[in-house]
Amino acid sequence: MSTREAKSDILQGTLDLMVLRTLGSMGPQHGFGLAQRIQQISGGLLDLNQGTLYPALLRLEHRGWVESRWGVSGHNRKAKFYEITTAGRRQTERESEDWARTVNIMNRFLSLAATE
Amino acid sequence: MFAIWRRFNEWVGRVRLDRELDDEVGLHLELLEEQFRARGMSEAEAKAAARREFGGIAHVQESYRDGRGLPWLETTGRDLRYAMRGLRRSPGFTAAAVLSLALGIGANTAIFTLFHALMLRLLPVSRPEELVNLYQTGGWINGHSSYPLYQEVAKRTDLFQGVVTRTDAARVRFSERPNARENFALREFVSGNYFEVLGVKPALGRLFTQADDRVPGGHPLAVLSYASWRNRYGADPAVLGGTVLVDEKPLTIIGVAAPGFHGVQVERRTEVWVPIMMAEMPFKSTHAWWLQIMARARPRIPRKQLQAAVNVLMQQHLAAAYPTSYNAAFRQRVMGQRLEVRDAGIGLSMLREEFAKPLQVLMAAVGMVLLMTCTNVANLLLARGAARRREIAMRFSLGATRARLMRQALTECVLLAAAGAALGIGLGFWGTRVILRFLPEQAGDPLSTTPEPAVLGFTLAISVFSVLLFGLIPALRATAVPPSTGLRSETGGSAAAPMLRRVLVVAQVAFSVVLVAMAGLFGRSLFELRSVDLGFRNQNVVAFTLDFPRAWRGRDVRAPYRQLAERLQSLPGVFSVAYGLPGPFQMGSASASIRVPGSARTATEAVDVETAYVAPRYFETIGTPLLLGREFDRNDTAASPKVAVVNEAFVRAFLPGEAHPDRRSLSFDDSKPEGGERTWIVGVVRDIRDKSIQQPPKPTVYVPIDQEKVAYPPTMLVRTLLPPVALLAPIYGVGPSIAIGDFGTLRQHIDDSIFEQRLLAGLSGFFGVLALVLAAVGLYGVVAYGTAGRTGEIGIRVALGARRGQVVGMILRDSLALVSVGLAIGLVVSFAAARAVASILYGIQPSDPPAFVFTAVALALTGLAAAFLPARRAASIDPMRALRHE
Repeated sequence: MSTREAKSDILQGTLDLMVLRTLGSMGPQHGFGLAQRIQQISGGLLDLNQGTLYPALLRLEHRGWVESRWGVSGHNRKAKFYEITTAGRRQTERESEDWARTVNIMNRFLSLAATE
Repeated sequence: MFAIWRRFNEWVGRVRLDRELDDEVGLHLELLEEQFRARGMSEAEAKAAARREFGGIAHVQESYRDGRGLPWLETTGRDLRYAMRGLRRSPGFTAAAVLSLALGIGANTAIFTLFHALMLRLLPVSRPEELVNLYQTGGWINGHSSYPLYQEVAKRTDLFQGVVTRTDAARVRFSERPNARENFALREFVSGNYFEVLGVKPALGRLFTQADDRVPGGHPLAVLSYASWRNRYGADPAVLGGTVLVDEKPLTIIGVAAPGFHGVQVERRTEVWVPIMMAEMPFKSTHAWWLQIMARARPRIPRKQLQAAVNVLMQQHLAAAYPTSYNAAFRQRVMGQRLEVRDAGIGLSMLREEFAKPLQVLMAAVGMVLLMTCTNVANLLLARGAARRREIAMRFSLGATRARLMRQALTECVLLAAAGAALGIGLGFWGTRVILRFLPEQAGDPLSTTPEPAVLGFTLAISVFSVLLFGLIPALRATAVPPSTGLRSETGGSAAAPMLRRVLVVAQVAFSVVLVAMAGLFGRSLFELRSVDLGFRNQNVVAFTLDFPRAWRGRDVRAPYRQLAERLQSLPGVFSVAYGLPGPFQMGSASASIRVPGSARTATEAVDVETAYVAPRYFETIGTPLLLGREFDRNDTAASPKVAVVNEAFVRAFLPGEAHPDRRSLSFDDSKPEGGERTWIVGVVRDIRDKSIQQPPKPTVYVPIDQEKVAYPPTMLVRTLLPPVALLAPIYGVGPSIAIGDFGTLRQHIDDSIFEQRLLAGLSGFFGVLALVLAAVGLYGVVAYGTAGRTGEIGIRVALGARRGQVVGMILRDSLALVSVGLAIGLVVSFAAARAVASILYGIQPSDPPAFVFTAVALALTGLAAAFLPARRAASIDPMRALRHE
C-alpha cells in the first residue's frame, strides 16, 4: 500500500499541473476531451492511464482549483465539464515557476555531468 | 470549514456520487470505443482497447472514493460494523463486559452526582470564590448570629466588599394570591443588599435594595425565584405588583430573580425572598441568635488575616453584649464563641459538614470499583484475544497493518464502553435516587432537577479513561502475534498472556480485599451503633410536629396539642399519647444553669444541665420505665408546685449515693449557692439517648411542659400499633390548615440520625459483593484456562494413580495461591485505608479483627468457589481420552 502511494505521489505533482495547464488553455472540458488533449500535447510520449484523471480532478476540485458542473456534450450526451478557477490559474503560475526552476537546476547538474 | 462542509455533503450524497462517477467513466469508455472503432477495430477489439487505455476501473473508483467524502468516517463505520458483528457472535462476553462496565460507570456517576452537587458546584452568582460564610461556633447552637453582630460585621468595609444576612430557608404558608388555596413554600428572609452583593440580576421587575432595609415591619415586599414564578404563576409577567400571602402576611411582588438562582443553600431551593425587616424578630437584641452572615471578601486579604480581624471583632462584640454580671460558666461559654470564616462559593449546606467525609470515602470506593471492572474487562479481552489468535494471524498475513488491527480492537473497546456508559448513566441516575432515599427528609434535596453537564462530562471522561485502561494492553497484546507462529500452532507463544492475566487477577483480588474490608468495617460500625441501648423502646411510636395558622399561634401553642392528644388517645389501637420539647431525635436542645441544694457540685458555682419540657405520660409513651417516683400528670400545672424528673446521670453528677433523690430538690435560680425557688424532684428515669445514638446521656432535668413558657411547637408522640397514616385523619380533624412536619415513626427518626453510617454500610456492602463477584469471575477464567492447558498432564497423573482428591487439591491450590497474593497486597492497603476512615467508625478500632477475619474468609471462599467448576472438570478427566487428545 505504502509503496504504491509513494509512486503516485511523484506522478501526482506533474499530472495535476498538466491538467491545470490544459484546462487553463482550453476552457470547460469533460474527462475524455481532457485526456485526448493531454495525449495529443504529449505527442503520445506519455503512458497515461486515462482513468487516473478522475481522482486527480477530484483532488483539484477539493483544493478549489477546478470547478465542475453537469452539461451536455457535443455528442448530445450528459457529461461532467471541468473548468479552471481563478485560484487554479494562480496555482498554475506558481507551479509552473517551481517546475521551471527545478528543470533549470536539474539541467545545470546534467550539463555539469556531461562536461566532466 | 467550507472544505469540511463539502466533504460532509459528499459523504451524505456518496451513493449519488458513485453513480455519477459511473456515468462519467461510462461516457469516457464509450467515446474511447467510438474512437477505436473509427480506426477500424471490431466491436470487441475496440472495447478491450478502451479498457486498456482507461486503466483499472475498480482502482479508479477506489481511489476516487478514498479521496472523496470522509474516508475516516467510512473506515470507522466499517470498523464499528465489524466490531458489532464480533460482539454479537459472543453474546456472553459482550454481556459480561458491558454489564460490569455499566456497574462501574453507574456507581461512579451516582456518587459523583452527589459529590458534585454537595462539594463542587459553584453558586450561580458573580465571582462565587470571593464569598465567605461567617459561621458562629462554640455557643449552644452553631451557625447563628444576632442582628447587632451583623451590623458590626457590615461596617468592616476594609475587610468585605459587602456583607449580607439571611435566615435559613423555612417552609411557610403560601398563597399565590389573596383567597387562593393555601400551600407551602420555602421562604428566606434576606437583607436589602442580598442580591446586589451576590450579583444576582432580576429576570423581571426589580430586586431588593438597601432602601428595603430600613424599618422593622415596613417593607411588605417579595421577590420570587424564577422556578416558582414559572411553576406557580405560569411565568405570567403580570405578577408584578400583585399580592402574595407569605406566612399569612400580604406582600407585594416586586420582581423575579434570575433563572437558576435558588438562594445559597445547597439542599433547599428558596422560592420566595422577603426583606429581613419583615421578620418579627428582636433586631436590637444581642442575645437573639437567629441570623446567618455571608460576605464578599475583599480580594487579596489573606484568609488568616481576615480570620484574625473577625476574631477581634467578635471578642469586642461579645464583651460588650455580655457584661460580667453573668455567672462564670455561662460567660465562659459565651465568650468562647467565634465567627469562623468559611468559603461559601459552593453554597451553604448542613449536609456537607457531616456528609463530606463519607462522600469522599464513597468516591474512593467507586473509583476502586471502576478499576476493578476495567481489570475484569481487560481480562475478558485477553482471553478473547487468545481465542482469536488464528484470526488475527490470518489477517496479518493477508496484509493488514498492525495499526489497522489495533484500531479495530480499540473500536470494539469503544463500543463496549459506550454501551456500558449508556447503561451506566441510567444506573447512575437510578442509584442517585436510591441514595437520596437514605437522606433524612429534613436534609432536603441537594440535587437540582436540571441534568448536570458536569456530571455527564465526568461520566464521559471516566468512560474514555476506562477504554484506555482496559482496552490498550489487550489490543497491543492481541496484535503482537508474529503471523507465522500464530498460524502454525494453536497454543504456541501464549505463555506470556496467562502471566499477564494472573497479574490482573491478583490486582482484582487486591481491590476486592480493600472493598470487602471497608464493607466489613462499616457493617461492624453500623452493627455497633444498632446495638447501643438507647434506654427506651422506640418501636411503634409515631412522632411528628404540628404547625398552626397564625391565629392559633397567638394563643398558647400547647392548647391544640392538648386537644389533639386527647382525641388521639381515644382512638382504638392507641396506647398512649404525649408530647415534649425537644422530642427524642428531633433537632434542637435546651439547657439551663442550676443549683442543687446540698450538692457539692453546685456549692461553688452553677452548672449547666440539659432540659426538656414534657407532657404527662411522656416516659410511658416513649417506653422507658421510671426507676423511682412518678411521672408528671394533669395536676402538675402552672399553678401547682414546681416539679421535675431527672435522669440517672443527673443523680450520679449531683446526688451521688442518694437513696431517695425523689425527695430532693433543685433550683433554676442559680444566683445563690443554695439556689432560690425550689423545684421538687418527683421521679428518676433511666438515662436515655434521645439526641443521637453516639452521644452519651448528659445530666438532664425534665420539667412539666405546662409549667414552662414554650416558644416552639413540641413533638407529638403516639404509641400505637396502627399504621402511621391512620393518624392523619384525626390530626387534620383538629382544624383546617394544620400542617404536619417530620411525620414518621420514631424508628425512622433514629434511622435518619445515622443515615451516613447506613448509607456507608449499605453501599460499601454492595460494592463489596460486586467486588467479590468480579474477582470470582476473573479467578474462574484464569483457573479454568490453566486447567484446560493441563488436561494432558492431569491425564498422566490420574493414569499414574493420582487420586481425584489430589487433582482437585492441585487446582484449588492454584486458585488459592492467586488469592493469597492478592490478599496480602490488599490487606496492607486496607489497613492504611481503615486508618483514613477511623474518624467515621463508631465503637470499633480501624484494625477491627472481626472485619478483617471476615474479609480473609470471604476471599478464601471466593477463591474456592471460583476454582470449584474447573476442579470438578479436572477431577472427572478420563485419562485415556486426555492422553489420546495429546
